Parts: sequence; C-alpha cells; structure tokens
Amino acid sequence: MADTPNTPNSDIPDHVSTAPAHPLHAVFRTLEFRMLCLALLLAGILSILSPHFLTERNIFNILDQSVVIGIVAVGMTFVILTGGIDLSVGAVFGLTGIILAQALQIMPIPLAIPLAVLAGAGIGLFSGVLIAVFGLAPFVVTLGVMAIGRSLSFIASGQRSISGLPLDLDAIVYSTFLGIPANVLFLIGLYLCAWGYLSYTKGGRTIYAIGSNAEAARAAGLSTMFYSILPYVVSGALAAVAVTFSLAQIMSADPMAGNQLELDAIAAVVIGGASLYGGRGSVIGTLLGVLIMVMIRNGLNLIEVSPYWQGTAIGSIIIIALLAERLINWRSTRN
Amino acid sequence: MLQTSQKAEAEPLLTATGVSKNFGKTRALVDASLTLRPGETVGLLGANGAGKSTLSRIISGHIQPSGGDIFFDGATLSLNSTRDALRCGIALVAQETSLAPDLSVLENIFLPNLATKGRLSYRAMRIDANRLLAGLGHEHILPLDAEVRTLSAAQRQLVEIAKALALDARLIIFDEPTASLSATEVDRLFDIMENLQNNGRALAFVSHRLEEVFAITNRVTILREGKVVAEDVATSSLTQGDIIQYMVGRDIGAIYKKRTVKPEAIGETVFEVKNLKALPWVRDISFSVRRGEILGLGGLVGAGRSEAVEAIWGLRPRQNSDIQINGKPIRLHKPADAVRAGMGFVAEDRRAQNIVPDLSVRENLLLAQMGQHRGFGRGYGKRANKVAELISDLGLPAHRLDTSLLNYSGGMQQKIIIARWLLTQPKILILDEPTKGVDIGTRSSIYRLLQQAADAGLAVIVISSDFEELLGIAERIVVMSDGITIADLPASRLTEEKLTLLAAPRTSAARNQALLAELAETYHADAVWTLLDGDELICLTQAAHDNAPSAGLTPGEAIMVDQTLIPKAIREHGPGFVTETDGLRQTLFTQLTDKRGHDLGWISLTIAGTAQAPDPKNIRAKISNLTSTDKDDLNGRHP
Repeated sequence: MADTPNTPNSDIPDHVSTAPAHPLHAVFRTLEFRMLCLALLLAGILSILSPHFLTERNIFNILDQSVVIGIVAVGMTFVILTGGIDLSVGAVFGLTGIILAQALQIMPIPLAIPLAVLAGAGIGLFSGVLIAVFGLAPFVVTLGVMAIGRSLSFIASGQRSISGLPLDLDAIVYSTFLGIPANVLFLIGLYLCAWGYLSYTKGGRTIYAIGSNAEAARAAGLSTMFYSILPYVVSGALAAVAVTFSLAQIMSADPMAGNQLELDAIAAVVIGGASLYGGRGSVIGTLLGVLIMVMIRNGLNLIEVSPYWQGTAIGSIIIIALLAERLINWRSTRN
Repeated sequence: MLQTSQKAEAEPLLTATGVSKNFGKTRALVDASLTLRPGETVGLLGANGAGKSTLSRIISGHIQPSGGDIFFDGATLSLNSTRDALRCGIALVAQETSLAPDLSVLENIFLPNLATKGRLSYRAMRIDANRLLAGLGHEHILPLDAEVRTLSAAQRQLVEIAKALALDARLIIFDEPTASLSATEVDRLFDIMENLQNNGRALAFVSHRLEEVFAITNRVTILREGKVVAEDVATSSLTQGDIIQYMVGRDIGAIYKKRTVKPEAIGETVFEVKNLKALPWVRDISFSVRRGEILGLGGLVGAGRSEAVEAIWGLRPRQNSDIQINGKPIRLHKPADAVRAGMGFVAEDRRAQNIVPDLSVRENLLLAQMGQHRGFGRGYGKRANKVAELISDLGLPAHRLDTSLLNYSGGMQQKIIIARWLLTQPKILILDEPTKGVDIGTRSSIYRLLQQAADAGLAVIVISSDFEELLGIAERIVVMSDGITIADLPASRLTEEKLTLLAAPRTSAARNQALLAELAETYHADAVWTLLDGDELICLTQAAHDNAPSAGLTPGEAIMVDQTLIPKAIREHGPGFVTETDGLRQTLFTQLTDKRGHDLGWISLTIAGTAQAPDPKNIRAKISNLTSTDKDDLNGRHP
C-alpha cells in the first residue's frame, strides 16, 4: 500500500533473469558437464592408483571395450527418451549373433550383416508396435521379448557356441584409419549421427516431445505413433550391429551372449543423466556414462581388485550420481 | 451477510504476519499478512504470479515459508506437510487438482481417510459421498465408481471440493474453484460456501473473477508482486475499478473491447461440422464458422463442448461426423491431419495437453509448426521472421527463448501456446477455455490477439464456461446441452441469463419438455417454451398435438414477434387465452420463473380458435408447480 513499485510488464516473471546469461555458463550448468567432471575425476584417481591406466594402449583398450555397450546404449537412449525401456536388447544381441553366425556359413559377409541387422530391427518393430499401437507397457513387452529371444537363440544354435566364422570378419574391428581402429571410429560416428538426429531433426525432437508430454505432442500434429515405434526398431537394429563387432573379435557366437547387457545399457543411460520418465537426456551423457562404467571395470582390473567388486562399484556410481543430481535440483529449487 | 459487522469482531481463526517466501532468487512473497475469521469469507486477489497461490499453499502446508509468523486458533502454527494442515482442519481446494487419477471418485473424496488407521467402511463412505455431492448438486454427473482419470477437468474440481467438504475442515481455501464451472454451478458452490460460512468456518476465496468476489466475500486482501497492497478491506467499500487498480497497479480499461466487425469482413463458411457423434459425451453436434468470425461454443460443464472439439481434433473416437473445410468434406483421423488441413487447437488443459515441459520456449512455440512441416529437419528456419514478430508482440525477450516454459506465468504460457498455432498460419483456430487461470491483464491481451487474428481472416472458435467472456468476444454463439447443439444465435441477441437458460442441463430441460408434452396432449395444443426479448422470441423446445394449429415457432431459432402466427397473444400476454385477429388461434402466453424469481422464459399454449378455451388457472398452476418442485428439489438436496 505504502510502497507501490513501478509495475513492469506483468507478463514477464521476475524469476527469470533479465540479462542474457553467458553462453558458457549454460554449459557449466548442464548435467553432461558434471558427468564429464566425474569421468575426469575417475580417470585421475585411477591413473594415480595404477601407472598402466593412462597409457595409450590402455586408452585404446577402454575405447575398444566401450564399443559393444556403447552401441547398444544409443538404442537404449532413444527408447528411454520416449519414456520407454527395452529389456530385450541383451537377448536380441544373443539371437542376432546366432543368426549372423548361421548366415555367415552360407552367405558372404556383406549380405549376412544386413540380414542380422534387419532381424534385430524386425524384433524391435514387433515390440514397438505392441507398445505404441496396442498400448502395452514397454517393460512387460520387452520382458516377454527378452524371454522369447533368449529361448530362440538356444534353439537356433543347438545349445552351443558356433565358431568357424570367416576370418575376414575381423576387418571391421582391426583395420585402422589414422591409427584409430575401425570399431572405435564407428562408435564415434554413431554418436555423432545420433546426437545430430536427436537435436536437429523433426524425428529427434518428436522423440523428446513424446517422452515429455505425448498428449501435447500428438495434439500439435506430430507423428507420435511412428516415433514411438522407431526407437525400438533402432534399439533392436543396434543390438545386432553391436553383436557384429563382438563376433568379429571373439570369432564365435554364444547363445548366452549379451546376458544382462540390457542392464549395462540402462545403467549407462541413467548415469548419463536421462530421466526414466522420458523427455530428458542426451547421447553425449550416455557416452560419458558408458566411459565411466568401462573405466571402472578396466581400472579395477588394473589395480587387481576382484571382479566381483565391479558390480558394487558401478551400482554405487549410479546411486551417487542420481542422489547428487537430486540434491543439486533440490538446492536450486529451494534457494 | 447481515451478521458481517458482528462477525468482524470475532477472534481471528488464523493470522499470518510478515510471511515471506523465496524461490531461488525470486521473492514470491514479501512480508505478506492475512487474517481469516470464523464465519467469514475473505477474497485473496491478485494477478497471476502475485503470490496468492503461494500464500494459500503456505497456509495449507504445501510449502514452508521462508519467514513470518502464522497463528491458528490462538497458537503458533508450524506446518511441515499437508497432513499437518489437514489434522488442524485446514484444507485447500487447489487450482491444479491434487487427485489420484487411478482411484475412484469415492476413494478420492475420502483420500485423507485412507491414511488413517483402522478399517474403512465403503458403505458409510458411499452414503457420505452421495450426501456431499447432492449438496453440490452433482450426484448425477459424478459416478462414484468412475476412475478420476476419466473425468473432465471440471468434474475433477468438483471431486476436489467434495474432498475438502468431507474433511469438515474449519478453514477452507478455495483456490480458483470456479475456473471451470458454469454460472449455475457457481451459484450452487456459493450456496455451499455461504452454508459453510454460516456454520462458523473460515473461508478464503482465491479468484480472478471480480463479480464472484463481490458475490461471495466479506473482505478482501489484494496482492501484487508478492506484496500485500490492500489488507483485510471490507468488500462493500470497494468497486470493481478499485480492485483492478490494486491488482494491476494501472487502469487497464474495459476487458472486453468489442470488435467492430464490418459485415463484409466476415466471409464464406470455412469450417462446418454436421451431426458429430462421439459417445458418451457428444450425441449430435452441428455448427459452422465463417472466415473472420469469432464463434463461441457455450454450455455447462458436462455439455460435451471439450469432448466435441477433441473428437474433431482426432483425440477421441467419433461414431459419426461430416466435417467440411471450405465446403469440401475432409477426413480427420489424427491431429496431424487437422494441422495439415490448416486448423489449430489450443486444448483445455494447458499443462497436460499443450505444454511439453522438457522442451524450451522456442521449441514449444515451434511445435505445431514442426508438426505441419514435411521433411527430415525441424523446419525452424521457415518461420524465423514470424517468430521474431510474434515474440515481440508478446513482449518476450528473444534471449529468453531457450529457457524453460515452466518459468513463465500461466498467462504468458497461454499466449505462447496460442502463438504456437498462429505461427502455422491456420485458417481455423479452436480454443478451449483460452483464459482459464489467466489474470485480467493477460485476458484482455489474449482477446486482442484473437480479434486481430480474426480481422486478418482467421475463423476462430472459442469454448468457454464464462458466459460473460463468450458474449464479450464472440459474434455468434452455438449453445450445447447434454451433447446436443440446441441453439445458434448472434451474441447481440443473448445475455448471460439467456445463455444460462439455453444451456440448462437435461434434468430441467427434460422436465420442461415433459410439461409441454403433457399440456399439448391434454389441450390439443401447440406448446412452446420461448424466451422473449423485446420484439424477438427465441424458441427453446416445443411439443405439439397433431390437431393443434402451429404457433409458427421452431426450436433453436430466433424470430420477430410479428413473424410468428400469434403476435397478438404475445403482445398482450393477458391472464387468459387471447384470440388472434384472424380467429384461427387462441393462445395462453404465460411466464415461467425460478425459485429466485428469475425469468425462465415463457410458455405459449396455442389451441384452435374455435375450441372451448380451458381454464387458464389450471394451466398456470401446472406451470408454477413445475418451478416450485424445482425449488423443493434443490432445497432437499442441501446438506
């Protein structure tokens, strides 16, 4: 009453700062930036604990170990961004591995690989249609597909590993360009494509919009049906791509391959800051999540900690990362 | 209300002083104070973002204050949760509903009871719930076993109100409870609020609607930008202008600036819907809108307005429809079809149906544009100029485009959502409750935005429960009741009272229809229920006996008195039957009023001129009997 401050345009809320923020400031505040710090911190600690950690050879080792889980985690990111989950990637990985190994017995490599990828995509399409068209819960559908996939891979393989794959296959892993192995190059290329797609295309933004508010996205005329199915197709196809790189290294296909791979992929996406409710996350975060997980495994090996401790370490990182994020968010909303 | 002066001396039930609340750097409340006394209703007013919701949420334990003292019932009140508040007897009927969507209406009404120990008696709850809903007058449209998620926004609010009533709270804060209620429902709510007040409860009423503030509150506390600018002032000492002045700090002039439409500016019919059917809410809806015209779709909550446009938009299954754009039939299966056909749609629930919270302001603004865009990219470049133009119109600095939309006030969010559609340059724009929960200043700028768009040739369809708003903004109004379009009239021929009457729900309409049928049958007559406005008649419903002479009236149409076949009877409306000059017809034209003496229109009963006229007293008795049973009915339902 006594003080009547001059009213500015009342439409503009005062809790948004009026001055344009420094562009770098925005980068520092992102979750990806904090994850990068975490990854660097982890690398620092491990390089102190083990002299072998920060060697060129070990760095390539880490990147090499990141390829399979990294590829699968891209598909998982797509799915989780829509608010879904794909528990079947491990089983699809196993099954398409068997399909690829069988196909390689009777056809050339350039035909066998697309066939396996197509099979993976087909399985993803199946899940995606059940989820998007029939409205079934992603968790349940992919749980079912996981059981079916694993069972079929045992049947198709005759319950044993298939070896005797053509030796040329290893070219996709061991040929190098500028000293970088082909599989690592592929991984980098894949992440660049996925990042570009998710950030700058209609499809990518629709995937975010679906995870954030599917009803609003649909009402705004976006093709929510198509882009709800697509992530599962991508996820299935990428599981097959991942198994191709795996087979090229091991030179044998095991029906149990990729067991619990889905959990690693989900862990990487979650560490990378994606929300399991959808709408929030990025492939950059996922890549950092993958590197953090692989570094922990690699580092613990180097300092000769029993492999049974790996689960504890990774589990703790997930929980600490989520908790830290929550505390930061609380602080920023409270004061 | 007569006891106000005595009540003012009553010990306050709640006194809050020096209350402040910071959200980050934002000071949402600064040194606010509020006094609530038993048996009194205090209006808590302010524009959006003024801090009235923050204050009510502090008092109801939803959030904790950053500073200040609150005394409740003589003791310091310190609330850590809403449960603490409920235990003290403080309930909030919230603006954004806090219901559990998967539980039934019954379970939601008694949700706080679910947290108590011991067994629940569903039977007792059911009886209580029926009593509460009957008090609200909504027992028919709120099935107790329905899941709350299946209810419309307005019905959810009714559940919310019943929930607070079920708690028997001593202090109830109504945070914009009328935002989605129609005039009749607001009346009922006010009856209930008066009742609660007379039972010694302290009520706080948060609202934007000034008429309602004057109707229900004893005192007002007005906030602006987190500060109290008028504290505990008697409502009777203020005018609407005073309150607006306090709220916005400047004179905003008339909210509804009537558009001057030149008849030639209104073009050909661009959009037409015939016999739309989308059960269970939409049974038979037809309307059309022309280029440059603003059409209002009016009706009470539950009339199926939102459901009808959602069905058109492809969000609900349709059983039958014939939709035409520019005279050509078009098949709309999903929203994308409508978007590409040049339509836009601002849905009713801003948070659930319009905003994509994780996308930035820019992306939200361009969302429909992206939906319309064909191609692999986002298509953001195409409309860059239009975006720049729109955001400067909205008063939104360009560098804020990449922040979260959730940081903005409800009014700004709404303007951005409307701009989202204007950006696609549609031919037809449908807006469902475009000013719900929006402050007065923003409301008038939304109206301006729509009027400018209509002037530029857009066909606008506005749905609103606020009849004053409909009359203020629309040139023509289509009235719906119970899933059927019942009238299509120019706004200039309507008033709020007439609209309320036209939109009357089935129960009374069915009763009136039954009466007309009975009269028609008994007296071999043409019985019509009409509204009379000067030289004009609006015919609502009709029942005619086969042998009766026609009065020349057709339901849903307006007609000049002289064009009817019974002008003499209408003009004279004497106590008995009046024979027309040609001697072919004799008519009893008698008025219908409700329990409060409001004009409910006229009943006209036309029989052959040669027939023996029945005793008009009997007929009048039958007619007044109708409204008096209405009265008993309503009173009987009160708790």
